[in-house]
Amino acid sequence: MIMSQQVRPEQQTAAAIAEVEAESRKEGRRRVAGNTIAFLRNHAPFNKMAADALQHFAERAQIAFYPAGSEIVGPDSGNVRFFYLIESGKVQARQAGEVTVTEYSILSLGAGECFPIGAVTAGRPSTNIYLAIEDTFCYQLPAEDFMILMATSPEFNLFCTQYIASLLDQSRRQLQLQFAQKASEQQTLNSPLIGIGSRSPVTVTPDTPLRKALETMSEAGIGSLVIAGEDGRPVGIFTRSDLLDRVVLAELPLTAPVSQAMSPAPFSLEEHATAYDAMLAMASQGIRHVMVTDAEGRLTGVVSERDLFALQRVGLRQIRQSIDSAHNVEALQQSAGDVRQLAFNMLAQGVGAEQLTQFISALNDALTRRVIQLNLENHSFEGIDWAWLAFGSEGRDEQTFSTDQDNGIVFECADKAALDALRQRFLAFALDVNKDLDRCGFPLCKGNIMASNPQWCLTLDEWKEQFSSWIRVPQPEALLNATIFFDFRPLFGKVELTEAMRRHLLIQTQSNPMFLRAMAHNALDVEPPLGKLRDFLTDLEPDHPGKIDLKKYGSRIFVDVARIYALAAGVHNTNSVQRLRIASQRLSIKTEEINAVLEGLDFIQLLRLQHQYLEGEPGRQGDNLIDPEKLNELDRRILKESFRQARKIQTRLKLDYQVN
Amino acid sequence: MLGLKKFLFKNASPAHLPDDIKAALESWRSQPVTALDEAHFHTRYVVIDIASTGMSPETDELLGVAAAAVRQSTILPDDAMFLDVESATDAQALDRQLVALLQFAARSPLVTYHVSYVGGFLQRLFKERLGVDFQPQWVDLAWLLPALFADKSTSVMPLDQWIAAFGLDEGSSRRSAMENTLMLARIFQMLLVRANGKGVDTAAKLIDESRASSFLRRTH
Repeated sequence: MIMSQQVRPEQQTAAAIAEVEAESRKEGRRRVAGNTIAFLRNHAPFNKMAADALQHFAERAQIAFYPAGSEIVGPDSGNVRFFYLIESGKVQARQAGEVTVTEYSILSLGAGECFPIGAVTAGRPSTNIYLAIEDTFCYQLPAEDFMILMATSPEFNLFCTQYIASLLDQSRRQLQLQFAQKASEQQTLNSPLIGIGSRSPVTVTPDTPLRKALETMSEAGIGSLVIAGEDGRPVGIFTRSDLLDRVVLAELPLTAPVSQAMSPAPFSLEEHATAYDAMLAMASQGIRHVMVTDAEGRLTGVVSERDLFALQRVGLRQIRQSIDSAHNVEALQQSAGDVRQLAFNMLAQGVGAEQLTQFISALNDALTRRVIQLNLENHSFEGIDWAWLAFGSEGRDEQTFSTDQDNGIVFECADKAALDALRQRFLAFALDVNKDLDRCGFPLCKGNIMASNPQWCLTLDEWKEQFSSWIRVPQPEALLNATIFFDFRPLFGKVELTEAMRRHLLIQTQSNPMFLRAMAHNALDVEPPLGKLRDFLTDLEPDHPGKIDLKKYGSRIFVDVARIYALAAGVHNTNSVQRLRIASQRLSIKTEEINAVLEGLDFIQLLRLQHQYLEGEPGRQGDNLIDPEKLNELDRRILKESFRQARKIQTRLKLDYQVN
Repeated sequence: MLGLKKFLFKNASPAHLPDDIKAALESWRSQPVTALDEAHFHTRYVVIDIASTGMSPETDELLGVAAAAVRQSTILPDDAMFLDVESATDAQALDRQLVALLQFAARSPLVTYHVSYVGGFLQRLFKERLGVDFQPQWVDLAWLLPALFADKSTSVMPLDQWIAAFGLDEGSSRRSAMENTLMLARIFQMLLVRANGKGVDTAAKLIDESRASSFLRRTH
């Protein structure tokens, strides 16, 4: 302490020189910044930014000159180190590589425009090559200062976020283009015959007796039979109409060979001919079947008139009509296939994930209702108030292409003595419905969350007590159940019962803050798979290295947070998007903020749909595992941003419920 | 002998200077001169301009000095300096400012427009106040520009005309010293690219080119 007071005079003045130098440098920096600010004031979003944010930008932004023809930044420059703002000149943005991931391939930027916002935000190399096409001066803000501005200036943050949101929009359009291509491949009359109609037609040899041929047709349940020689070449076709004209009316004995009754020399086309060729042939020659052969003339398939009609797009109205008028499960199975096809067409036509999942839900609802109606013909519940409930993703209107059943029943029973008998009747009915739904492509629930399980076939009072007990004692299992059963929705029956359940639920949760906190704690267990060094963590699922589970680490995060805010804000809706929209209004969360979150959710859902439809094998339940390496650069970038939105909303939840 | 001693020590600090300034000057003198055979990209240039009461270094007064470094062909706000000579409260404060400028310049090549004007004022002040013969390596844009940008003009012309020729925004009002320095710095950035293209690819070559162009123009 004493030492420091005995400073020698020259030391003191040496400090004075250093002070003068520091002061002069500070003044120099201030004046350089003033010069930059004069430019920033004339350009959005800087003209709206607060003075201290502008000062920060201006004191940190370097000024660089790029002569015409020079590259400013590109994929080869490594992770982007600067955010560039053009002061004067012209810069051309060009997609690197051959695949175009945004709708523009070349974009011209002028004074006041910025780049590469997506790359600098993500801290990765630029996908575009930025080339000065005139002598160009740029302000270049180091990436770390860009991040500081993103965190401190809401105006700057909004500007960059909106820019990235417009990228999201572009990527969605790209995705739709891919679907459209696949859809048109599948659907237009230009597709080759190899993919249409029956691929392994039933054949018999020409010397087969008529009786045997007719038996074959009857067994296989087919209306036409191809007659092929030993070498596999088709020599004739025999149809049901031939039976009348050439067998019955011609009094041909059933012991005669089929060759005597067949139409000889059937019309054939090679596999690579198109559906259009087949249609033309049918129209011009008045035939109903076209043989499809390989290059050697051997039969590989048959295309019927009906197959070609099936190529025409299925429409929403027809499907609704066919569902509502279906008289048995077989007809509903056909409709279930049509729902899938129509959903696919809509995806191709550019319907967003939110609308699409709701649409799938709407048709699936109609289908389920019809299955219930058909089964009510065998089970009568006259005079009893009851309702069929949907849970989980079905309850939230968020079904993707492969969703298994999650359902239950609520009913009223005034007479306690009759309760067990009534429950048995509901269980028997539910079992039939569950089985029929399974046949229509809604697999049975592995966790047995189905109305045929006595646990989930309850009276209104039992449901209320069940909800209350979960809320009172938020054990892990109770919390897990809450994530499934609190997303309920009536599909059939008395809606008032479910409204009573909902009111009870909301009152209970709002008077038990500890429960919501426990839910929040639970929802924060899983974090979005963002890496510190790598873009994504792909080793979270030991069984699927290199892949990300988009449901577990993506959409579920949004869904869980939405449920908590909905319960906290007394929102009756079950759909996550609606929950977040309405809850954010009630909890005064900024619209822009929640829109960015919803965009993120929408994108993840769209990727799931794409993955399940484009990559799923027909007849196999699609999964949610995607390999981020296989995404194109833009999708990867947007996926990362979407995960960031998941993290953002988790952080908010953490703050609101003080979970550490 | 005496003459030789006087020659050798002519840069010695005047006796009236305080010890700290003397020490600072000594340390500045002992600094190595910036290597000039490096590429432009590796050379730190200091662009400098002044504000004064008039055009004559002999009779008019210096009001302020604005300097900005160009490193790796980039202008960095963190490497700039402004001396408010006009409002220096006392002689020692002014002296310290001048020492600070020397430390900032750190023997880098200095770039300006009309060395005779800028250099004249600085030389007089450094001599009077600190006894320093201020002879930095000058790059004079006034002479270099017509030599390297003959496509725009072959004669020495006012800075505003160059600004217009380069299509740079000259601003509506009169430029301050720092605004002028930053404008010169931008022109200098462009000039570095042109110089590289013509094989004038080191600081030494650029300084030679600057000297030659002014010499040729003055004598022919």
